[in-house]
Amino acid sequence: MTQTRALRTKRKKSRNDLSGYFYIAPFFIVFGVFGAFPIVYTAWIALHDWNPIGTQTWVGLDNFTFLVSDPRFWNAVRNTFSIWFISTVPQLLFALILAAALNNALLKWATGYRMSILVPQVTSVLAVGIIFTQIFGREFGLANYLLESFGMERLDWQSGVLSSHVAISTMVMWRWTGYNALIYLAAMQSIPRDLYEVADIDGANTFRKFFHITIPQIRPAIIFTVIISTIGGMQVFAEPLIFGGNSNFTGGSDRQFQTLTMLLYEQGFGRFKFGYASAIAWALFVIILIVSIVNYMITRRISRE
Amino acid sequence: MTRSTKGRFWIVLLVLSMIVAACSGAAEEAGGDNGGTSATTEAPDAGGGDGNGDGTTDTTQAPEATTTTAQCAGEDNVLEVWGFGATGLEPGMDEWGAANGYCIETKIIGYDDHHQGLLTALAAGEVPDVAVVEVGYSSLFKGSADAGFFTNLGDIGANDLEAEFVDWRWAQGVSNTGVVFGIPTDVGGMGLAYRADLFEAAGLPSDPAGVAALWSTWEEFLDVGEEFFGAGDPHFLDDAGVLYQVIATQAEQRYYADDGSLIYDTNPNVRFAFDIATDAAERGLSANFAAFSPEWNTAMDTGEYAVQLAPSWMMGYIQSVAPNTEGLWSVTTLPVPGGNWGGSQLTIPAASDQVDAAWEMIQFVLSSDNQFAVFQNNGNFPTIEALYDTPELLGTTNPFFSDAPLGEIYAESVKNLSPIYEGIDERPILDAFGRAIDRVENGELTGEEAWEEALAEIQLDVG
Repeated sequence: MTQTRALRTKRKKSRNDLSGYFYIAPFFIVFGVFGAFPIVYTAWIALHDWNPIGTQTWVGLDNFTFLVSDPRFWNAVRNTFSIWFISTVPQLLFALILAAALNNALLKWATGYRMSILVPQVTSVLAVGIIFTQIFGREFGLANYLLESFGMERLDWQSGVLSSHVAISTMVMWRWTGYNALIYLAAMQSIPRDLYEVADIDGANTFRKFFHITIPQIRPAIIFTVIISTIGGMQVFAEPLIFGGNSNFTGGSDRQFQTLTMLLYEQGFGRFKFGYASAIAWALFVIILIVSIVNYMITRRISRE
Repeated sequence: MTRSTKGRFWIVLLVLSMIVAACSGAAEEAGGDNGGTSATTEAPDAGGGDGNGDGTTDTTQAPEATTTTAQCAGEDNVLEVWGFGATGLEPGMDEWGAANGYCIETKIIGYDDHHQGLLTALAAGEVPDVAVVEVGYSSLFKGSADAGFFTNLGDIGANDLEAEFVDWRWAQGVSNTGVVFGIPTDVGGMGLAYRADLFEAAGLPSDPAGVAALWSTWEEFLDVGEEFFGAGDPHFLDDAGVLYQVIATQAEQRYYADDGSLIYDTNPNVRFAFDIATDAAERGLSANFAAFSPEWNTAMDTGEYAVQLAPSWMMGYIQSVAPNTEGLWSVTTLPVPGGNWGGSQLTIPAASDQVDAAWEMIQFVLSSDNQFAVFQNNGNFPTIEALYDTPELLGTTNPFFSDAPLGEIYAESVKNLSPIYEGIDERPILDAFGRAIDRVENGELTGEEAWEEALAEIQLDVG
């Protein structure tokens, strides 16, 4: 009697365990099909000279050795990091300031402002790209008009390395600042009020409160945005592509704003070197991994202080 | 609102914003696949080009468009056609469809997008029934034909047609193992279109014979341009890259020797074409408009430059993007005869389930009568040799081009062409030279530096 009851509860327990796996299965199936499998399969392709139509020959690590010696790859790495840095650092600082301002209890129409900072986010990246490309146009662009009215020389934004990076970063910043600000704001809203009250009693001013209460308290949100912006920044594609004109995957005549994803696309779908493109994809994966870890360590140290 | 519900509100908003971000990410990719949108509403690219000339914003000008004609009753009677610009064959296709109870669905996207997408589509098996392949990409698709991705038209009757077509153009649709995968639609024989009014204003003769007598070499062509137009407005040329592309085809060989080995770095004519183009750029004769860019179209309409190297399909292009210039253009022969720019083949992917109908349609639209009609309406020069001596073709003129003897000029330009061996990497090599010339036009490099850069770039890509 007791034995069967024990058996029954055990069976029931194991059935419960099993149903738990069923609940989480959809995610893992989808991730396996669209996440894990392509990653592994890409590694397999990268070891081949892989023509989508025609032959696939095993070449071992040749694609990777060529990658390391390919100046176009290092150029794309430089461009990607440069655009990422120029866009992310000001973007996150600005988002932090924006969030602090929107978190102010005295602010009127707070919800209206909070909603409106999301507007750039819902705009199609294509529309953003086209408009900004016109703003930074050589002949009739608004940016050059402003430069001239301040007595400065007009720029051929596309042909310069730094100028093209600044122009592309502006698009990225415009789209993502509000999104990051919203995340910071959500985190700031959950900071307990009493911390500030205690600080008020101790006579701390606004800046002290901001740096010693707000920043440490929203540390997880900062880490989250830094990592998300890094992953996004490493993969920036649409903005430089549109900036260079239709179907121009070289990113300018000197590849001056060709990012890693553009090089990947050029080699894969423009030159049909799927093996080499897969090697680039893996290099990108490793780069994102390393940068994310470094990011995480730096951010953690900064916000702990 | 209590504090906790307020917090929940923000969490919901945050989640919503993430969903929005994810959705717009998907939209991004969809947009990217199409290579961006284009501001123009017409599909003016008349068949040939590629205009690679310029690295930055070249090629694809033709906007995306999907048109469906007639009522489509079901899947059985739909023919899907993919192309990269107006071939001028569309009315003929519709006519055939209407007579035979088929609907023609035409999908037009950018030049490089189309060909690269077609190759991916072949690999994936999701193919159209008829696909346009331009000569710039023919050599790449020869390999696909050998691998069985295209219907061998030789098996279903194309061999009977071969004798009617210009032999070297026919050969561009035949793979290395003899698979006939494409039937040539048009030849990109060359002429020189010029703005007669701007020539007169500059003090030059404006009739075709008088203009042809101004120069007999490319060097003289540039000298005259510099003397009468200088570096000012209007410019003499549209784009140095176009000049390179045309001169580079004026020889027996281009990037490959007849045995298939690479000679792009040692072929004296490639170097000559590059030097002429960079010389024009350094002397400021080019207005530096990327061919097929919206700016180029506008400049054509507003008269920012005086001379356009023009394959015959360019007649249709100019008329569609520069309607305000009617009667101001004229056409004469090139300073140095020869060269071919553009021209396409119609192919039937092997995975199409409408091979017979597609083949019927191709035979109809590439018949002698229809090709002549296309030449009259759109400028694309026919590939059927017997037409070249007919008085109707030789007598073709167009008031848009000041009634210049278009028929004679283009027939003459095509008769003396000989085939050039084309290898698999034609397009990337042309692209690299084009970008190097572009940097000279931007004043970043000298011609000599640009040559070295182009060779280094090609070396990396082609090896």
